[in-house]
Amino acid sequence: MTGAVDVRAVTKRYPGSLALDEVSLHVAAGEFMTLLGSSGSGKSTLLNVVAGFTEPTSGSVLVDDADITGVPPHRRELGMVFQHYALFPHMNVFENVAFPLRRRKVRGAELRRRVGDALEVVELGALGERRPAQLSGGQQQRVALARAIVFQPRVLLMDEPLGALDKRLREQLQLEIKRLHRELGITFVFVTHDQEEALTMSDRVALLREGRIVQVGTPQELYETPASRYVAEFLGESNLLDEDGGLLLVRPQHLRIGPPDGPGLRAVVREVIYVGGGLRIEVERPGGQRLVARTTVRPEELPRPGDEVVAHWSEHDSVNVPA
Amino acid sequence: MTALRRLGDGWGMLVLPLAAFLLVVFVYPLASVLARSLTDPEPGLGNYAAFFDSPVYLDVLGNTFVTAGLVTLVTLLLGFPYAYLMTVARPFWRGVLMAAVLVPFWTSLLVRTFAWVLLLRDTGVVNALIPGEPVPLLRNLAGITIGMVQVMLPFAVLPMYATMRGIDRRLLRAAEGLGATPVFAFWRVYAPLALPGVAAALLLVFVSTLGFYVTPALLGGPKDVMIGELIVQQLSGVLRWGFASALAVILLLVTGALLLVASRLVDLRKMIGSGS
Repeated sequence: MTGAVDVRAVTKRYPGSLALDEVSLHVAAGEFMTLLGSSGSGKSTLLNVVAGFTEPTSGSVLVDDADITGVPPHRRELGMVFQHYALFPHMNVFENVAFPLRRRKVRGAELRRRVGDALEVVELGALGERRPAQLSGGQQQRVALARAIVFQPRVLLMDEPLGALDKRLREQLQLEIKRLHRELGITFVFVTHDQEEALTMSDRVALLREGRIVQVGTPQELYETPASRYVAEFLGESNLLDEDGGLLLVRPQHLRIGPPDGPGLRAVVREVIYVGGGLRIEVERPGGQRLVARTTVRPEELPRPGDEVVAHWSEHDSVNVPA
Repeated sequence: MTALRRLGDGWGMLVLPLAAFLLVVFVYPLASVLARSLTDPEPGLGNYAAFFDSPVYLDVLGNTFVTAGLVTLVTLLLGFPYAYLMTVARPFWRGVLMAAVLVPFWTSLLVRTFAWVLLLRDTGVVNALIPGEPVPLLRNLAGITIGMVQVMLPFAVLPMYATMRGIDRRLLRAAEGLGATPVFAFWRVYAPLALPGVAAALLLVFVSTLGFYVTPALLGGPKDVMIGELIVQQLSGVLRWGFASALAVILLLVTGALLLVASRLVDLRKMIGSGS
């Protein structure tokens, strides 16, 4: 299998700012790797360095052990999908998807077959004659996907491809991109600021902050054993408790709220919110720290704002986080 | 139907002053030019027959088209990269480039044309900079082309700039990401998207150039007579008003025919900004 990407000590310096600071990352062939981070974390810069749109100040990028640093983007043979779709407005869907093939001198029946196949994969087989402007946002992004995979790149790079779509459509396309990844078996490098998206889609996630990778691992590793307070707070809701100079992480679904006479941390209920299928209870500790619990308690046990309670958890549900 | 109803509700009256003005200064003179071409010196198609019978006059018409074509070509070749530069320049330099196009545009045509005479004549500034024998730049096609291109540049740059400004440059990056060389991306993505602006520029420049008088009269030689000059010559020189009128009608018809053909190929309303 091909498509392994190696980023080696890549630094990108802009006048007055450091976008990437000695970033190294190995993406295995066929892996779904997500670069996660808030805006300004360097995740898009890193993707653009791999794509060849941004020249790193130092460091190198390798694909299948070949150094491609300095190779112009059009010679890298990587597929790319953008948040803004970047479909060519003067071409219909068929021509958009055919674009990378025409560049590679594919013609005639072979061209039609391959474009047709790519459109089938994204379930847009019947829309070849349409102009991009006649399609919905979700359809446009599918065309962009078809266009990026039609020339069988070793690696598909995606820069916040679902960022412009509404929630339901986004979730639907997340599943489709996952399916695409399984069917094609090529390497996906996916950029997003949405931690939920990163957790559901990826084989592994690299979390970036201020131009550095703070943790790389499977979604489960990042969620369950975060390497720092930042990681714990970035991924999902978290309760972080100071304990003997260390930090203890208890996820809201593991935090229980009980009557004030039991063992645990004393607190006062501040908010009780019904969220489909359960409750989100926010309590405040004497020092002012707020803790969040998610539970599915029965209505008769429903705590009310102002109630004195204790928050407790089983020891095997808490994790020590390096401070 | 809706247009009629709008006229009826009172607001339509607002168009009357302009309509009356155009009637007096445009429609009536045009009609009288047409009438004169068919009646002066005697009723019939004599003036038109005279035009088509004489190779001299046909040469002038042909020369007019060749000159207009050359001027259009040079203007577009110069204007396209200029307009492109305006779209990629920083705001300050874009302002400078825009001013460089517009300031001459606001200067009197006559003043500019005389300035070219001073610059281009054998003892002028340009020839002073070129060593050796003076290069003939005046009273020939070179002079006409230089002068008219300078006049027409804003008409080419502005519509092309307006179109190019609307092109999403990220599309070029996408094309390169899909394997297109910069040249391939330019021809397959940028050029087609810039085409409406180029077509508008082409049409504006070509049609305007056909009717030029001052510039070819001052910068051109006896071999480069354009139809505008011929009209003036017939009108004020030899007082053949009927024939001059026929020439004007021929120019108008040819221009109209060109616009008709062009409207089949491109959306004219879009070009002048009133299309949806």
